Amino acid sequence: MVLDLTMSMAVLALLGALATIAGCLEDLESDVGSQSNPNSQVQLAPQMGFLHRIFNKAISGEPISNGMSAVIGGTVTTVLLSQKFYPLTAIVIGAFIGAIILGIFATTSYAGRVASQTRFKQPLYMDIMRYTTPTIIGHNFIMNFCLVAIAYIQFEVLGYPFTIPFLALIWGISVGAIGSSVGDVHYGGEREFQNREFGCGLNTALSGRIVRKAESGLRNSIDNVWFCAKFGGPATGIALGLTVFFSSWPTTLFGYTWTAIGIGVLIVAVLTIMNRLIELNVRHAYGPYKEEKNEKEAKA
Amino acid sequence: MSDIKERSPNELVLFGIIGGLLGIYLTYILPALGMQISGNVGELLNVIAPTFGALGGICAVMWGADAVRRVAKYGLGTGVPSIGQIAMGMGIIAAMFGLAIVQTKILAGPIVALVTASIIGFIIGWFAQNVIKMKIPVMIRCMTEIAASGTIIIIGFSAAVAGNFEFANIVKLVFDNGVMLAVFWVGAVAMLHPFNACLGPDERQKRLLYLAGSTGAITMAIMGIAATMTLGASGVITLVLGIVLWVIFYKKFWDEVYHDAASVVGTGLIPKTEA
Repeated sequence: MVLDLTMSMAVLALLGALATIAGCLEDLESDVGSQSNPNSQVQLAPQMGFLHRIFNKAISGEPISNGMSAVIGGTVTTVLLSQKFYPLTAIVIGAFIGAIILGIFATTSYAGRVASQTRFKQPLYMDIMRYTTPTIIGHNFIMNFCLVAIAYIQFEVLGYPFTIPFLALIWGISVGAIGSSVGDVHYGGEREFQNREFGCGLNTALSGRIVRKAESGLRNSIDNVWFCAKFGGPATGIALGLTVFFSSWPTTLFGYTWTAIGIGVLIVAVLTIMNRLIELNVRHAYGPYKEEKNEKEAKA
Repeated sequence: MSDIKERSPNELVLFGIIGGLLGIYLTYILPALGMQISGNVGELLNVIAPTFGALGGICAVMWGADAVRRVAKYGLGTGVPSIGQIAMGMGIIAAMFGLAIVQTKILAGPIVALVTASIIGFIIGWFAQNVIKMKIPVMIRCMTEIAASGTIIIIGFSAAVAGNFEFANIVKLVFDNGVMLAVFWVGAVAMLHPFNACLGPDERQKRLLYLAGSTGAITMAIMGIAATMTLGASGVITLVLGIVLWVIFYKKFWDEVYHDAASVVGTGLIPKTEA
């Protein structure tokens, strides 16, 4: 389908918006289950004698688990579209089935990992299972919906030569990779070790000594997602949305020409300079890390 | 841990290869048989044949998950997902090579694929052991097994969607509509997830095998959904049987969890420990 400039800009804006929501929800979903980067400390804590009430969703890394739920969503959507379903219905049902299957995998990984830590006396809390799993499914459903919708738009409207499952898988892997690299940074050190000074790094003596108590009562995974929703999730969403927007914007505006490539290079150059400026600014503001007294005691 | 009786690797190799190949070949033999028997029985054989491909795939998932377990026990924490992916990478190359190269001798396809996968797996294992020097004693054997089970998973689940394992048929019904990516990706997760989910010092083989059965059955159910598009009624059978098998294996897995876990509580405070 050939679109005029206004229409292609509108489609691009829609893709950017969907990607932003998908990125945000993906990061939050991984934080509900403490997947990926924060997972190692959650896994390690019982071994160090720190039993906890945090969900342990070990379904591989984020790119693989999100790729899985997205490709299931894409496949089911393709099947429903072939049966002449209305596209929106097909996408919703496909995304829902993908999310449910991810939820099933999540329950088995929490139960399996806890059952494999018997010698450390880590109990399996069924209430955590009951209210964290639907949260994971909910977050993942929205992400799946956005990704399969992007795949559908690219396939049907923009006429990409790839199938919907293929595009959904690629988007799932991308959103997982971006969520892992952008969003995870925010949960790991800041939330699990928030009783230490910001940016202190993690020395070996602190491994597994995660924060297990909340403002009132014991901390659980919902507290963690509340924390991540303030910054980590939105930052991931903006990262993915801008990636989609900036990578398609030059070609939408100028077509497949050298001008578009030049503008693409310019965008990369500007972003590189901005990143360097932020890094210098942060180094200047926080400086090198100074060891505190109580940490020296913990080491000894 | 060693005092608990486990299935030996050789038993699982036999289970995976015989079960897997039997399932795959039945997708071809049953319709041929159905042609000779007229009437309802013949038609029924035609309809249920593709489902056996998925059942063969589940056998291979259980075998592959145990092979992943044996090699990943040497401390490959984050390496477990990578092993699942490399298994499918080796598996899909071998499967497509094997099915395509035999041309008219269709029946030889899966065997050629299995042998090719074993050779690729052996070479990669040998490289990991002797060039990268990972020093894992079971590396070569396990990589060979992982590649071989990966190829059976790919052929088995593809056959469940395409009806049989003819290369032209698989290209038309599994590749062109993108279902192959679901076979590839969900198959890989089915194989890597059991050990990844049970990782820990008190991991037990029985629980892992039940979980492998459950992840394999989930893959089967998804292939069933995809097969309703390509094959119609056969897909519904695959889907329903996949869900039934999933319920059985999932229940068995939970029984093992209740048995193994230190304690299963509705809610409660953290028990006191020394730390």
